[in-house]
Amino acid sequence: MPLVNFSNLDFDQIKTSIKDYIRANSNFTDYDFEGSNLSTIIDTLAYNTYINSYNANMVTNEVFIDSATLRENVVSLARNIGYLPRSRRAARLSASFTVSNLTNIPSVTLKKGLVAVTSQRFGNSDFVFSIPQDITVPVGANGVAEFFDIILYEGSYLEQSYVVSSRDPDQKYILPNTGVDTTTINVTVNESSTSTVQSTYKQYNSLIGVGPESRVFFIQEIDGERYELLFGDDIIAKKLVEPNEVEIGYIVSSGAAGNNITNVSFAGSIVTNNGTPVTKGFSFITVGGQSAGGAGIESIDSIKKYGPQVYSSQNRAVTSADYEALIPKIYAEAESVSAYGGEELNPPQYGKVFISIKPVNGVFLSNCLKDNLRSELAKYKVAGVMVDVIDLSYLYVEADSNVYYNSNLTPMQLGNTSRGDVFRGADIGSISNPVRDDALAAIGRYADSTELNRFGGRFKYSKYQNIIDNSNAAITSNITNIQIRRDLEAKLGQFAEYELCYGNRFRLKNHCRTIAEGAMVGFNVRSSGFKISGIADTVYLGDLPNANMETGELFLFKLNAPRQPVIVKRNVGTVNYKIGEIMLNPVKITSTALTKGTTPIVEISAIPYSNDVIGLQDLYIQLDLNYTRVNTVIDQIDSKTDVSGTNYIVSPSFDGNTLVRGVPILVGSENGGASSTQTSPTPSTTTNVTEVATSAVTGIVQTPSTSYSPSNTSSSSSSGSSSGY
Amino acid sequence: MSVQERRSKGFKDISATFKINPVNNDLIGLVNYNAIARSVRNLILTIPGERPFNPVLGSNVNALLFNQLDNITASSIRTEIETTIDNFEPRIELNEVIVRPNAEQHRFDVLIKYYIVGLPSDVQEIKIALVPTR
Repeated sequence: MPLVNFSNLDFDQIKTSIKDYIRANSNFTDYDFEGSNLSTIIDTLAYNTYINSYNANMVTNEVFIDSATLRENVVSLARNIGYLPRSRRAARLSASFTVSNLTNIPSVTLKKGLVAVTSQRFGNSDFVFSIPQDITVPVGANGVAEFFDIILYEGSYLEQSYVVSSRDPDQKYILPNTGVDTTTINVTVNESSTSTVQSTYKQYNSLIGVGPESRVFFIQEIDGERYELLFGDDIIAKKLVEPNEVEIGYIVSSGAAGNNITNVSFAGSIVTNNGTPVTKGFSFITVGGQSAGGAGIESIDSIKKYGPQVYSSQNRAVTSADYEALIPKIYAEAESVSAYGGEELNPPQYGKVFISIKPVNGVFLSNCLKDNLRSELAKYKVAGVMVDVIDLSYLYVEADSNVYYNSNLTPMQLGNTSRGDVFRGADIGSISNPVRDDALAAIGRYADSTELNRFGGRFKYSKYQNIIDNSNAAITSNITNIQIRRDLEAKLGQFAEYELCYGNRFRLKNHCRTIAEGAMVGFNVRSSGFKISGIADTVYLGDLPNANMETGELFLFKLNAPRQPVIVKRNVGTVNYKIGEIMLNPVKITSTALTKGTTPIVEISAIPYSNDVIGLQDLYIQLDLNYTRVNTVIDQIDSKTDVSGTNYIVSPSFDGNTLVRGVPILVGSENGGASSTQTSPTPSTTTNVTEVATSAVTGIVQTPSTSYSPSNTSSSSSSGSSSGY
Repeated sequence: MSVQERRSKGFKDISATFKINPVNNDLIGLVNYNAIARSVRNLILTIPGERPFNPVLGSNVNALLFNQLDNITASSIRTEIETTIDNFEPRIELNEVIVRPNAEQHRFDVLIKYYIVGLPSDVQEIKIALVPTR
């Protein structure tokens, strides 16, 4: 029998192969006994083969960027396609302070290096803030020098110097420390160690505009997450010659650990224009917000992902994919990026590119960061194209699951009720219920996964159901209803028109039935309560489909009872079921029933036509755990308590007929009246829809919309504006 | 099960000397009794961890040789030998293990008596002198 299996990478498998070979081809018999000489030889052979296989595997893997695992190899392969992995980034802190009692001094200089330290222990760590270059400011007539909005970098400032030697043809200029923020590297070259002639070299990452006399340097990452500086050869960039002295200054930072710091005290060095140290007159440092922007060195996975993308973009932002590839390189804290051209909008906006960014920490980018991004992107974008960095728009997915379980397979006792407790995600841990807890834990993991938390994410209905089914062995099936929601940020006291785009088609319920048959037509859109100018009662949004079943009219109604709506105003806006868009005519909202933080919001939800929900363009899908419910129900058939299914509890696969979101606020209940608790109405409940005259209602100005929102999620009117978020 | 009830087709191992048999110019082989005796000897002298990916194979006799040269250590060595053979050499059934401290030679004299499972034989004996070496 020939030795045929060459693909084994496991020691025991290799050993078994050799034994099989000997068994078939040799007189020796003792290979099965560990004490035998033959067994020792087999072990040696197998070990040798194992090491060779491992080495061959490693060598082959490390040759390709997709399969390489060692950082220095991934970096080296990325270098071949012109990609420099992002270094660690120091957190930036904007700081201001003054120095007073400076008489007869024209200017003072804040020396590079240490400037501030954390005033108190922050998260059990101390941090220092430095600047990589001197900052000189004039002294005012009142003897006060003001350092205003200077940028401090978290980390220590270090210097490294080299003397160029012609005797070393392979001389390297290496920064010996790890954790260098390469954006802070400053290079000055002295003619010689004794000369005062000094020139500054700039960091470049392309050859564009670089000539023989250009004083530039390039950097590359080498082993151990260190960096090497590369200088020119008098053909591309100016060459260093003996006895030049190279002085390199840089900041070594703690990366992301340096974020969110606000309290620092001055520890820097200030000298006057003649070099005399200033030792008194310092004010406290005031900071412009928390330190931000600190990030770790680019991960191996990120290099593998973005290296080829940046290569394909050729450092030029032309297509939307180019922007998505370049932004993580520019802004390290970007968790997910979505970019799309204005031509994709309706109506199109040619010549514009819209970018939404989800930062790792927080929800929105500051205006300062947006401006920085725009200016950075200007280096890459095509001339004439405008870049608009827009705020993130969240599309929330709410899932309501009835989870059937086999009561024989779980130790919990839910009592005799067939229908168990209903819990929201926020209630985890309140009452022990292993089925529910496991399901919610699995849902929580799915909600945090990158499958959802990225632009272009998709809520996959079948996967969601599968996750619930597999979360606990006792679960037999689940019926899950999906809603999509956006939060309208109300501009209180202002006339504003609102536009909310969901990017998903709405489902119309009861559209083919008449009121006489006992069902309500419309009410596909549900909102939380709010008040408008001129109407004392809390009102809600409702909708009535047009004959084409693609668009509909929005109206406002109040509730006399949870199932007794009274329309107070018609034609307050339109709804397009087909594209999933809600337009509200200018309306003056005076208060809302809900707030998010301090922001007044109106939650508006609908049932999607498809249970797979996509995040269109700038919409960022989030599974809202606060509105995700898991209701445990005993599966009486599988539990063998009712095999015939006579008393089987049926859960509807379609949403109930509640008219509004949350607890209904009834007419009169806000003025000391009894508040009603919402209960799920049975589908057969008959309710008469009452219409009232609308001419007496004020607060609605039906002005045709003439403006347009580029982000397709917000709109503005002449008297105010608002947006969803 | 009686020792005599089982039959083996025989055991054949390769010699660690790697010398050539002058008759057939092949490697010298070890058969049956010799092969098993060599195996027992190998097991006792193998230090756990010495063999790749099999950290439990072998005995700790080597470490015990640096203890006091007395009967207590001899007893420990005997136990270690018995355990090792029971665990890793299924071809023999131990009859007796005798370990004697030899103070004059500064060594332990070991006598292992055993039956071979599956081969008709008398009690086999192996004598090993365990000398601490560095």
